[in-house]
Amino acid sequence: MILLSYATAVIIFCIGLYTIMIRRNLFKTVLGLALMESAVLLIIVSSGYIPGGVPPIAPFSGPAVNPLPHAFTLTAIVIGASDIALALAFIVKLHRHYRTVDLDRIRGLRG
Amino acid sequence: MTLVLAIMVPLLSAFLVPLFHLARKTLSVGLIGIMGLASISAALAAAHTGWYSPAVSLLGGWAPDIGIALVGDRLSSAFLLMTAIGSGAALACALEKFGGGPWRFYALFFLMLGSMNGILLTGDLFNLFVFYEIFSVAAYLMVAFSMSWQALEAGLKYLVLGTIGALFILLGTAFTFMATGVLNMALLAEALASIPRETLTAISACLVLGLTIKTGAFPVHFWLPDAHSSAQTAVSALLSGVLIKVSIYALMRVCYIFFLGTNGAVFLAITVIGSFSVLGGHLMALRQDDIKRLLAYSTVAQIGYILIGIGCASAAGAAAAVFHAFNHMLMKMGLFITAGNLSEEKGTREICGLTGLWKSHPLWVSAFAVLSASIVGIPPFNGFMSKWFIILSSAGAGTVIPALVIAAGTVISAAYYLRVLSAFISPDEGSSYDLPPYVPRKPRRRSVSFAIVGSFALLCLVLGVMPFSPIFREYFSSIGQTAVDVEAYVGLVTGR
Repeated sequence: MILLSYATAVIIFCIGLYTIMIRRNLFKTVLGLALMESAVLLIIVSSGYIPGGVPPIAPFSGPAVNPLPHAFTLTAIVIGASDIALALAFIVKLHRHYRTVDLDRIRGLRG
Repeated sequence: MTLVLAIMVPLLSAFLVPLFHLARKTLSVGLIGIMGLASISAALAAAHTGWYSPAVSLLGGWAPDIGIALVGDRLSSAFLLMTAIGSGAALACALEKFGGGPWRFYALFFLMLGSMNGILLTGDLFNLFVFYEIFSVAAYLMVAFSMSWQALEAGLKYLVLGTIGALFILLGTAFTFMATGVLNMALLAEALASIPRETLTAISACLVLGLTIKTGAFPVHFWLPDAHSSAQTAVSALLSGVLIKVSIYALMRVCYIFFLGTNGAVFLAITVIGSFSVLGGHLMALRQDDIKRLLAYSTVAQIGYILIGIGCASAAGAAAAVFHAFNHMLMKMGLFITAGNLSEEKGTREICGLTGLWKSHPLWVSAFAVLSASIVGIPPFNGFMSKWFIILSSAGAGTVIPALVIAAGTVISAAYYLRVLSAFISPDEGSSYDLPPYVPRKPRRRSVSFAIVGSFALLCLVLGVMPFSPIFREYFSSIGQTAVDVEAYVGLVTGR
């Protein structure tokens, strides 16, 4: 079950990286970034799983899952959201100038 | 306590700047100057503490295995001193150029200063990632600050590559946490010795790849020339002089603590990347016509020298790398400020248009000559000394190829810096080129910028002579020893 989650994360990470490298549309680049980020977060969340663990909320009995990765994930979500918001803001500004989001028609982003 | 202040004071300033703007509508230069002085003196105080009595500060009093520890030792002190000098100079230039007007710029500046000190002081891998991202977001915005379309493009390119790098660092951190269950760097140094070989390879690949992208070394350097050349003068100087050094510190700290005893292949990889950066950076710089792009590609090459020093995996190599990082901060900030001011005077950044400057600005041109002689590596200057130490330590580490690469790179860099200087000195014949006609501008006073460039040029000469004094050599070798002495670091943090 947990292996499946790791495999999913690896596949999503690769799809994200592929999207960034191959697609020439700036919005798809940002989607690729978001995919990569979600994949890493999925790995972190899965790493805290303990078979048969209960949610680590104050009155609990038995083994609880590790709550530390959840805290990391929350922090990383905030960071990722700010990165992606900034990227979208840049793209909106660039679109106002070029009237396109095609990488090949934007001079300095080639190569 | 002083360690916490080095992060708190700049962050507090970053949040006070918008508040002052709301209350007063205009920011006075003096106010920002006071905040800058407070932040820089906090950083210097932390550097002083770390240098003379290596200190650990446990945030909230939590033990190192569950809490976040701030660690100040001689390596972080050296880099704290470097960022304090560099960002102080950049702030002075920005204040002279912009005055108190752009409050957003100063808010970003202080945010960046605080997070840089955070990277230099933190002893926790996830905390390193968080500070790295604060610092990177501030850097993306500062690159795009002028809102011209080149700056926006450069900012977006930097953002996409920087975020990919950050995600690889996060992935490496996640793997590390899964393998060991701790994130404190000192405890990880012990825990990583006993994990399977394949896991260690995956962790080191992710961390080194991520940090290399952030550093801007050759195969993944695409963002660096755009970002460093599109920004305004003070920002370019800050990016090339200081930000890169913080990334170098992160690479150095992570690699030495985690992989020195466990995975020697990492250092071979760093040496190879460094050698390619030296050749690639210099060859690309040779082809540039834009003076700021030329300087930016030269930065790629200089990063290569520092990486070769780190790749030696010895105390001597680490000391040489830190020395070269310090020298490169002085030289490249001076060169960027000079090039920015001269090209603003002439209204062009093309090298062939920057003629006749020897007549009109002899002092600036002579400062540029001193700084470029130093970065090429002409003997009485510091660039020669640090390259010499890097060559010595890389030959001592067993391979002579990086040393040959450095020698070849020196020749190429001499060629392109001489081209810039010969343009500066040649008589003004603006009409013979296909350029907009030369409009004499109202000369602006740039006394603060010139004082900074002049003192950096002077420091280049002083630091070129200093290695002959045994006290100085001992200081620098002690930085290298701190960098590679993992046991002392672990002992410092765990209190054993």
